[in-house]
Amino acid sequence: MMLIILWLIQDLLTVFTGGGMQIPGLFMLGVVFRLLFSDNNNDDGNLWAIWSAFAGGILWDLRWVGIPGFFTLGYVVVVLIVIQVWGIIPPQGRVSGSSLLVFILLECSQLVPPLLPVLILGGNTGGGYFLMQQVYSLPAILFTMYMYFQKVRDTQI
Amino acid sequence: MDNSRNNTREFVHGLTALILALFLLGVSSGLGVMKSIVDLWGAVLFIPEYPAVVMREIYLGWRSWSRDKNLLASEVTRLRNENASLRLELAKIAGERVFSDDKNNANTARVTLRAPMSWWSEIRIDRGSKDNITQGLPVFSGGYLIGRVSTVSMLSSWAELITSSSFMIPAVIEETRELGVVAGDGSGSVLLRYIPAGRGVRAGMKVSTAMIGEELPPGLPIGQIAGEFNIGTDGYTTYRIEPGADLSRFYTVNY
Repeated sequence: MMLIILWLIQDLLTVFTGGGMQIPGLFMLGVVFRLLFSDNNNDDGNLWAIWSAFAGGILWDLRWVGIPGFFTLGYVVVVLIVIQVWGIIPPQGRVSGSSLLVFILLECSQLVPPLLPVLILGGNTGGGYFLMQQVYSLPAILFTMYMYFQKVRDTQI
Repeated sequence: MDNSRNNTREFVHGLTALILALFLLGVSSGLGVMKSIVDLWGAVLFIPEYPAVVMREIYLGWRSWSRDKNLLASEVTRLRNENASLRLELAKIAGERVFSDDKNNANTARVTLRAPMSWWSEIRIDRGSKDNITQGLPVFSGGYLIGRVSTVSMLSSWAELITSSSFMIPAVIEETRELGVVAGDGSGSVLLRYIPAGRGVRAGMKVSTAMIGEELPPGLPIGQIAGEFNIGTDGYTTYRIEPGADLSRFYTVNY
């Protein structure tokens, strides 16, 4: 439900700005945020994340790009990167001294989706526009990090 | 056991999702049906997106209004400046016209009475309503305003002088465009009142009638600033005006 709401907020903000300003990928921040607390010992593991990212990406592409697969590819790759990287960190290491890693994984969710299709299909990465997108994403990433460490602290208590 | 099985499942599902995404990326642009799906999804999202659309329209309307307001303000400033320079031109033209009239002796009247008891207040001239003299008509000497017609009879008229204590007209300092009131003191002096202090008014600046007065046309030259008279406690300064006309020695006037 949270992911649907985040997807809608991202969509509404994009409508509001009319494409004049790049909106942070709130949906993928939500997916990565949940993945950081996910336990893959349950029955379905992290499959929800893979298919949520896939569905979210398809719907985003249908709404804003017109070419399904454009952002979907990046969303799925981000999820796989997070699952692999976070999986090799032992649970004890995830709660202490991992702020840089958390930042990198969250940044991945903003960097990879718009970049990957361009790198595969070719074309202009947008230069300054791409850079501005990353700048706009920074507050959202930092806020997500704050939320993450708040939740970690609450869990430890 | 469960962990490794989950890892394998995640890998398989991830790979499947990747292949699907790549497949869609490769083939979807060539599919005609994709446009219909895109349109359909856009139509579905129309309802939840509607508040954002409305807010965007409101924001754009506000931004447009704000921009228009700024444009309007700058246009008003430009027109004000243009108006000030036009008024200055008008004043020059009016002055030239008066000088010219004076030279041609057109509309000239002779001063027939200047009573010692009201020496600085009024004069009588030998022109009246038969010469198209009307009440309020400005009276000049040497091209400068010296008063205005106060009473008209058929053959003669009375003109109130600018030195009269009851004479008050709005005036403007041409160089600074400051507005004030020209008033006489009944003793031969002419003062410019109600000029805010510290506006850079200096001696020698020209004073003429202002457009805000209904009784006299704007731009009629009166004289020049002679110096500061006093500064009131209310922050307004009174200046002494040196009339352009010699009020002690005139035998004829123009109107």
